[in-house]
Amino acid sequence: MAAVLSANGLTKRFGDFTAVRDLTFALEPGCVTGFLGPNGAGKTTTLRMLLGLAEPNAGDARVFGRRYADLERPVTRVGAVLEAADLHPGRTGRDHLRVLARAAGLPPERVREVLALVELTGAADRRAEGYSLGMRQRLALAAALLGDPELLVLDEPGNGLDPEGVRWLRAFLRDFAATGGTVLISSHHLAEVAQTVDRVVVIDHGRLVAESSLRELTESASLEDAFLELTAEPGA
Amino acid sequence: MTRQLSSELLKLRTTRAVAGLLLAAAALTLLGACVEGLSPGSAELVTRDIQRSMFSAGVTAVLFSTLAGLLAVTSEFRYGTIRPTLLVQPRRRVVLAAKLAAGALVGVLFAVVCVAVAFVAGRTILAVRGVDVALEGGDLLPLTLGTVLGSLLGGLIGVAVGALIRNQVGAIVAVAAYAFAVDAVLFAAAPAVGRYLPGKAGDGLAGLPDADLLAPGAGAAVMAAWTLAFVVAAVWRNDHTDV
Repeated sequence: MAAVLSANGLTKRFGDFTAVRDLTFALEPGCVTGFLGPNGAGKTTTLRMLLGLAEPNAGDARVFGRRYADLERPVTRVGAVLEAADLHPGRTGRDHLRVLARAAGLPPERVREVLALVELTGAADRRAEGYSLGMRQRLALAAALLGDPELLVLDEPGNGLDPEGVRWLRAFLRDFAATGGTVLISSHHLAEVAQTVDRVVVIDHGRLVAESSLRELTESASLEDAFLELTAEPGA
Repeated sequence: MTRQLSSELLKLRTTRAVAGLLLAAAALTLLGACVEGLSPGSAELVTRDIQRSMFSAGVTAVLFSTLAGLLAVTSEFRYGTIRPTLLVQPRRRVVLAAKLAAGALVGVLFAVVCVAVAFVAGRTILAVRGVDVALEGGDLLPLTLGTVLGSLLGGLIGVAVGALIRNQVGAIVAVAAYAFAVDAVLFAAAPAVGRYLPGKAGDGLAGLPDADLLAPGAGAAVMAAWTLAFVVAAVWRNDHTDV
């Protein structure tokens, strides 16, 4: 059976700058995997290639064994949030979801369900310009959940969440994985995901520096020390 | 494709941009018809050409449907909603085709409203001033269907140019600079060339009374050729650029 998600020799260049270099990793099903690295390490670029938004210069990116663009009804397999700010400020939260549900051929009830799931029903008929960053994160997550996917890919979902929101998200993701779902969650903030993830993929300067279980990574040192050690500048 | 089109049309209905542009286009059409119908003396207003100027005020729809198409695409890039859009429908040509279809429908709607405003205003002005309608049978087709076709093509050009330029401010500045400067200046300086520009071809298609413009049929063919060129370029860019 094909891996839930895999990067094979993925490389992306922007002019002379190589953002992602020969990156290979795969996700295990039913796990929450932390995709870690400092800002600018190439995390978002990697996720964009995995989701078919950017074309790699070399290597390939597969979800459920196929290129994202070749998936039948991708939202029923993969839910993704790249930037929570990907909202039209003049459109209400509910309309944002209705637009996407319609394109996906999903019934309108699904919009109500996901709004309730992320606890945003009360604000759903307000324009998104008045939303806090935390509300935008919840709305973006609701959009990712519309198709009831098996895999969630979330880019820095903790940004802007208050401590209660972080706790809510952690519980939600644990629950999602416990019922068989797979999660890839990127972060540059280790403490935020330490209590959420089972496995980690760490990259720096576009290269893989570690792929292991959380336990392996933290056996000899605290996660933060391990992370800092892995991503330190040579000679620094 | 049907689902994507339905989604694109819902996008246009759930923000205020298109409604605002339609209102502005209708208001400018009314203003144009009033200026053309009220400033000439009664002796001039009986002439066919002055009346054609007045009744063709609905041509405003062409520029505004172009702007609506432009905004429909560039607002997706400006606010990043293109990413959720493409996550739901990763086949980019399906998304672009749906946007083009939505742009064409918006163009038809704008033209129907603006032509209706121009005709109601024009007929009212003539009735109030006690002047008979002096249009000839052949004038009606370009003033109505010609304007609708021009506005439909305008909507398509707007979507295509939006997909080419992507940057909202840049695209609006480019189209406005073109419409108010390049088009007019080139036509005034060299009408034999200028009448083949998309804007002036559209004016010919919509039956504006200027002997230097193309005839409606030729205007339609030239504007359609421009539209095709912009759409082909937009498809190429849409296929090959990361978001």
